[in-house]
Amino acid sequence: MAKCSFNQVQLGGVVTCVPSLVKCIDDEVDLFGGSEKQIMRLKKTIGLDRRRVVEPGTTAVDLCEAAARRLLSGAELKTDSIDAMIFVTQTPDHTQPCNAAVLHGRLDLPKSCAAFDVNLGCSGYVYGLWLAHMMVSAGGCGRVLLLAGDTVSQIVNPRDRAVAPLFGDGGSATLIQLSGVESNSWFSLETDGKGFDKLIVPAGGQRAPSSAATRAEVTDEVGNIRSAENLFMDGAEIFNFSIVEEPKAVKDLLEYAGLDLDSVDYFVFHQANRYILSNIAKRLKIDLAKVPMQTVGSYGNQSSASIPSALCGELGELLRGATSQRLLLSGFGVGLSWASVLLDVAQLSVCEIIESVSSASKA
Amino acid sequence: MNLDKFIKDFEEAVEDIEPGSLSAATEFKQLEAWDSLAILTVTDVIDMEYGVLLSKQCLEGMKTLEELYQFVLSKQ
Repeated sequence: MAKCSFNQVQLGGVVTCVPSLVKCIDDEVDLFGGSEKQIMRLKKTIGLDRRRVVEPGTTAVDLCEAAARRLLSGAELKTDSIDAMIFVTQTPDHTQPCNAAVLHGRLDLPKSCAAFDVNLGCSGYVYGLWLAHMMVSAGGCGRVLLLAGDTVSQIVNPRDRAVAPLFGDGGSATLIQLSGVESNSWFSLETDGKGFDKLIVPAGGQRAPSSAATRAEVTDEVGNIRSAENLFMDGAEIFNFSIVEEPKAVKDLLEYAGLDLDSVDYFVFHQANRYILSNIAKRLKIDLAKVPMQTVGSYGNQSSASIPSALCGELGELLRGATSQRLLLSGFGVGLSWASVLLDVAQLSVCEIIESVSSASKA
Repeated sequence: MNLDKFIKDFEEAVEDIEPGSLSAATEFKQLEAWDSLAILTVTDVIDMEYGVLLSKQCLEGMKTLEELYQFVLSKQ
């Protein structure tokens, strides 16, 4: 397992931006095939409720830009104090250039700032934190801006109930900086590429370029409709992957750090859905009060933005406070890929959710 | 583990099933409630109660609850 630890890097602030448009599964029974009973079971068992989605035309860059501006003003930072930016996304504005470059220009960051994208989803926030910690530790980067955001609602087929009612959108900005005091963190990062096709957008890239055939909508054996350019998820396989790998990863990381479950104040997992979260908690035998899981019911599964969203929405006040909180963050999903970090967080200059202005009202 | 308890666990895992309405000969995939959600909840219960993780492939050849039970037994 790729593992490492750091002792002089800390988080400075986190902001997550969510779209203002709310969708609710209750209003979509017709869309998902008309079986009210089935939708109610989904809602109750999986814990689906509301989610925030962008209006067409709004992208992860827009959401992350709003989050970054609030972060920079909240932390009272000038743009020329940012040495590098990492943009984690799987729903970029363009296949080229990367989102980081687009946002670098919009934020008017200096030319001395490094900028690149990372193509990861639900594990991506922790991967981004890992990269940022390494960049700060290696010297040369005093402050790194990590953007993690996705608009998965735009790549699901609205009539595919295996994914459409699950995913929401969000964009986050996190400041990672050199710490004047000792600040410990431990990371682990893993991959199972044999599961690459369990969560996938099959076509539209170079392996299967976009064509009339890849855009054609097909109804599968259980009545879900999607094209090869829509997101596909094998829900049962992803569930099995989560309940097998996540508890193991958490235990392994704690062992590596020489800490136990009780020493962790909060376990902030990727907000996949309440069913998976409570299952992981149950298998680890951790108190549900230590596992934030309200975020997914309000905003949906926000892919790379889900962990920062939970930090801002459920732990914001605590993390702005003086008392240091030991957090275990863990993301898992598309790749298949999963990553965890154990870190102490306190006195964030800003840690909050903001709402994006809808493009309709902007015009 | 025994078959009666196993059937009871299965009934509890799948919503909208009357307790006691299923038997060893029940062809579980023919149940109205058997869908992707039921696969999740049954997988969860069998993993938690019996320590066996079902996959889609292993369910493929199966018809009755007794076959499912025998499979779980063989994997323990």
